[in-house]
Amino acid sequence: MDPMETMKAMGELWSRGARSFAEAQANMMGAMQTAAGPAPAPDFEAVRAAQTAYTKAWTDAQSVAASFTSSLGAQGDAKGDKDPVAAEVLAKVFDPRGWLSASSEIDAALSRFAEGPQFSDLFQIERKFAVLNTAWSALRRRNLEHNTLMLEAWTRATGVFSKAVNARTEAGQPLESARALMTLWIETANEVLVETQRSDAFLRSQRESLKAATDLRLAQADLAEFYSQMYGYPTRAELDDLHKTVTELRRDLRGLKRKAAASRAKETTP
Amino acid sequence: MSRPTITPADAVAEVSALGRRIAEGAKLFGEIRDADVQIATTPKDAIWSQDKVTLYRYRPLAPSKGLPPVLIVYGLIGRYTMADLQEDRSLVRNLLNLGLDLYVVDWGNPSRAERFVTIDDYVDGYLAECVNVIQGETGREKLNLLGICEGGVFTTCYAALYPEQINAMVLTITPIDFHADQVDNRPGHGFINLWMRSLSPEDIDRLIESQGSLPGAFMGSVFSMMTPMRTLTKYNVDLLDALADKKKFLNFLRMEKWIADRPDHPGEAAKQWLKDLYQDNKLVENRFQLSGRTVKLSDITCPVLNVFAKDDHIIPPATSRALGTKVGTQDYTELGLPGGHVGVFVGGKAQALLGSGIADWLERRG
Repeated sequence: MDPMETMKAMGELWSRGARSFAEAQANMMGAMQTAAGPAPAPDFEAVRAAQTAYTKAWTDAQSVAASFTSSLGAQGDAKGDKDPVAAEVLAKVFDPRGWLSASSEIDAALSRFAEGPQFSDLFQIERKFAVLNTAWSALRRRNLEHNTLMLEAWTRATGVFSKAVNARTEAGQPLESARALMTLWIETANEVLVETQRSDAFLRSQRESLKAATDLRLAQADLAEFYSQMYGYPTRAELDDLHKTVTELRRDLRGLKRKAAASRAKETTP
Repeated sequence: MSRPTITPADAVAEVSALGRRIAEGAKLFGEIRDADVQIATTPKDAIWSQDKVTLYRYRPLAPSKGLPPVLIVYGLIGRYTMADLQEDRSLVRNLLNLGLDLYVVDWGNPSRAERFVTIDDYVDGYLAECVNVIQGETGREKLNLLGICEGGVFTTCYAALYPEQINAMVLTITPIDFHADQVDNRPGHGFINLWMRSLSPEDIDRLIESQGSLPGAFMGSVFSMMTPMRTLTKYNVDLLDALADKKKFLNFLRMEKWIADRPDHPGEAAKQWLKDLYQDNKLVENRFQLSGRTVKLSDITCPVLNVFAKDDHIIPPATSRALGTKVGTQDYTELGLPGGHVGVFVGGKAQALLGSGIADWLERRG
């Protein structure tokens, strides 16, 4: 099959899978909501829209990456001297997945914030579960929207890079090593990414991701609080209260010690 | 896109060079042990501790010049070990070799138990205690402060609140005007300033409420985000380059070790750092309050040496240099060094200039 056709098919398959998953979630949530009574409902339409936009951006990016790899690797292939390590490094550097994982490392950090109670623990408290699920859906949506933004930037970077390579070739200064090629890509991509990071769209998207991750974490904390109370364990709020008290007592103690030392020094000063 | 003209001969040469480097690198990897990548090895003794805070005094490496003692104060983002990364790139060793009496405060590893510890506690509590201990130990009424990054903000506040205790203050890569990133507006510089302004105070409150701290890993990812392609190529391209030279490779690993050791920033102190300073810019506007007192930069009357990195993308030079017109002393000196935020401490040329620059300046104010 033609690589473009493969990409297209993969994209469609992914889209269909995502749609089915979202629909299954919507059905399950419908049942959950009926059981739990009024509670904030996840915005599945928004998640679906974000998924669709992301899938399109990903498909486009993969297609460009495939074309790049083919273009860059063709000469070495023809002579039979293609080096697997060099090829791997080049492929990695050009791979939009790498871009996503590096540029949205912060998303991964935010997602780690969200680690907490497992899904199966939560079925007994439907309303809290619904809130948690809504927060999870919102985070998923924000991450998809953010990744779409980053893939668009990646595609933009490849355009700028192509222009730069063409310009050098036309000026009679073609790139003469894989290393030079990679350096040019890194410089170009960095410029585009840094510019993207300063855009309102990026800042807004980062803020929304941060808020969604925080909401999810707080929803989890609420559940943990519920279980701790139920089973007689100290809650996070109680521990925080205790830590606050200790901090304030330490502060007071330091102050008193200093006052005492100062008055002792005053007494001993002739 | 037109194809690059890489000839087969060039390709073969490049590939074989790469192959050699990988083979050498694999051998190096096999030889290196954890003991080879120790950091902060300059001998020192703990002389005081309270809660998680420890004060160390370094053992002398040269005859004393008889100058007032110097207290190094790092911030809560990252650790003081940056000032003593390795033997041949150590601000600590450089200063000791120049005959200074050196102390460093280690804030330890704050956990969620320190959620309610504030900058007031760090400056007016722990730092004040450290100064008091050093005064007692050396019999000196005044000492020199050397602040690094957020630690520079701590020493700035201290010098403003207790000017009578400070002989001179050296600041390195320290933000004073948190909105001055907009002065030069260089792409890729001052992203944290811009990002913090894009958040609302409630966003920060909720972040801290949910985490109890500003997690070190989170700040690490923010720093990585500021140099996106460097982050992406770090463990393939950069590492391959480093493998060409054992010394370079060990330097790479030591830096990795420092980066991995990133403590969590106590929650309430983080709120002050992000909201009062990054968002509201209270320090440069003389509106920052600590322990019920306003920090007025004009109350800083001791001599000040302000060291900044000319290519600092985390603390853009203008954010540091804003101090010049605000302090209450005529004895204000700036020293701009080549390199970036961390490069000032570990860059071959800059770190040598930094040590001698600080020691010479302090000696003239002994």
